[in-house]
Amino acid sequence: MSTHNAVPRRVLLSSLTAAALAGGGQRWALAADAIKIGMPVTLTGALGSIGTQMRQACEFWAKQVNASDGLLGRPIELVIEDTAGNPSNTVRKAQEMVERSGVRLLTCIVASNEALAVAPKLTEWDAIFVSGDNGDGRLTGESLVPNFFRPNTSGPMGTRAVALWLRDSPMKKFYGIGMDYAWGHNSMDVFAAEVKRAGKEFLGAVFSPTGTKDFSPYITKIRQSGAEGCYLVLAGDDNNAFLSQAKQYRLGDKIQLLTEQVDEGSINAVGDAAVGLIGGSRYSATLDNPANKAFVAAWQKEYGRLPQMFEGDQYQSCIVLQAAIEKAGSIDAAKVRSAMENLIVNSVKGRVEMRACDHQGEQAGFVVKVVKRPGMEHPVPEVVATYPADRITPPCNQMSYDN
Amino acid sequence: MDFLPFLLVQCLNALSQAALLFFLGVGLTLIFGIMRIVNFAHGTFYMLGAFLGYSAAHLSGSFWFALIAGPIIAGGVGAAFEIGLLRPLYRRGDSAFLMVTFGLTLVLGDITRLLWGVDPLQISLPNALGAIVFLFDEPFPTYRLFLAAAGIIVAVAIWQFLERTRLGLLIRATSQNAEMVHALGVNVNLVRSGIFGIGCGLAALGGVLAAPMVTASLGMAGNAIIDAFVIVIIGGMGSFLGSLLAAVLVAFVQVFGTYYFPDFALAAMYLLMLLVLMIRPGGLLGKEI
Repeated sequence: MSTHNAVPRRVLLSSLTAAALAGGGQRWALAADAIKIGMPVTLTGALGSIGTQMRQACEFWAKQVNASDGLLGRPIELVIEDTAGNPSNTVRKAQEMVERSGVRLLTCIVASNEALAVAPKLTEWDAIFVSGDNGDGRLTGESLVPNFFRPNTSGPMGTRAVALWLRDSPMKKFYGIGMDYAWGHNSMDVFAAEVKRAGKEFLGAVFSPTGTKDFSPYITKIRQSGAEGCYLVLAGDDNNAFLSQAKQYRLGDKIQLLTEQVDEGSINAVGDAAVGLIGGSRYSATLDNPANKAFVAAWQKEYGRLPQMFEGDQYQSCIVLQAAIEKAGSIDAAKVRSAMENLIVNSVKGRVEMRACDHQGEQAGFVVKVVKRPGMEHPVPEVVATYPADRITPPCNQMSYDN
Repeated sequence: MDFLPFLLVQCLNALSQAALLFFLGVGLTLIFGIMRIVNFAHGTFYMLGAFLGYSAAHLSGSFWFALIAGPIIAGGVGAAFEIGLLRPLYRRGDSAFLMVTFGLTLVLGDITRLLWGVDPLQISLPNALGAIVFLFDEPFPTYRLFLAAAGIIVAVAIWQFLERTRLGLLIRATSQNAEMVHALGVNVNLVRSGIFGIGCGLAALGGVLAAPMVTASLGMAGNAIIDAFVIVIIGGMGSFLGSLLAAVLVAFVQVFGTYYFPDFALAAMYLLMLLVLMIRPGGLLGKEI
């Protein structure tokens, strides 16, 4: 959930700092001792809902660390500023954090174009940037800089999981519906290529203009295509409208609906209409490992709901950063960097290895299905397939796969 | 799918969409016809209806209650707005109304955001409306049949109201010559407030009915106001029958246009508007401008 309230920046900043410190009581005599984490995060605008999730994950992590013994015996202080998703804003705010607040560690930058704008500055700032959600393949490819690390799942890795699932699935014929602009067409092309590479049939696709309200002609087309699976590249209100109407037409009874990335905001909006949807996911609260179970339990106690996808992904990045600082015994950029390389962490998504060659975290990939669980208000994405890190992570500095 | 069942299914689809467009357009055209005000906030009342409907359905557990409560509350807000803010402006020019109703879209939009948050909300349907019927072995949502029926019922009701009741007579008379009606001892202000409230309430009814298909979201308002203007312009400003005709025409062009020429889905409605305006500049049943 994003907010458009104009809270004065200073007030926001100091109150959040106070909130982060309050978690540990007044154990630390001087706030100057604190390890400052800079968060130039998008809280307003189109990506505000993602930024809000990521911020919450960082706050949760900081509170957890401060409630125990801190990090290297020091409290964590989050320095939060809203960038509104504008890359030049992001660079300016990050620079302010570095120069005025002495920040040397950055995370929680939402959009990839913001991350790409910040990355070239890191050496000059002598700062480390740990991505929490940035997907663009170039960040660990042609645009890689020494002080950038990506413990989260990248965009190509997300698509890869769905592509691998496609190969194993018994379905043979596919159709697609996408939003009629660059993203819809690009994603559909990638999907069509994957279908063909799997030796299956792509029957075609239809594109709906952004803001479409009546999907009945499209639903008729999908039904008439004779496909077993239909790939959806829809977002926001359009996605909600499509899923609601597809449910009213019982489209899912005959055709499996697939999507690039299962969006929890949509599940919460349309409820039962999302049940049965299969797609990629970076993180699911239902992942079965001890670290995740502890995380989900603590999160539920704190917020009374399950953690969502970007919350889990950002939290893992925070844990990786924490492990690197502990290993380095310092927050000096050079020391954190060498500690981070080849670091292995077992966190909420299982084993992550921060490989030295391109700073990408090698980790498993997931495909989820939206299911209804008794006792839960909304349907939840449940993992139906897990692919090992060596099949999900692309070769060093690459964005595509050999097979 | 054979051609005949296909045709039937698509016609029913078009009628269900026509109903939603009609609820949206008829309020705007009535308000313009009587008051000569272009209500820029009309789309916002459509959105407000959806959110009010969500809360009413959520609190009472009944979709039917939401269908009544949503439009009545939104209509009340509309009437109160007319009395409080529009009435002092009747001696001013048209631009004043445009500014004030545009301001209302911003204020109501932010109030909605504060009260309901930014996440889209879904109104769940009672079982009878969430079911499907089979038409020539093709599953068809009962909700769309219900929408088409609701459109016909409301259209007939408004028509009878305008033609057969004393209030309807006053409304028609006011639209012809407000000063004369006033001179005859009728409280014209009351008629205006009433029609503004009814118009906003009809938009809100459209919003409640659209919510189960598109979810209640803040983006509804901007989309709806454009559709409403298209309907009113095609049908002719101020013409009740024109808005009905335009809604049906636009819905059929959209449904069949999207099916046969998906690349032109967005353009279909505007091409229709262009065509109508070239032949009849005042709209189908409007006065020549």
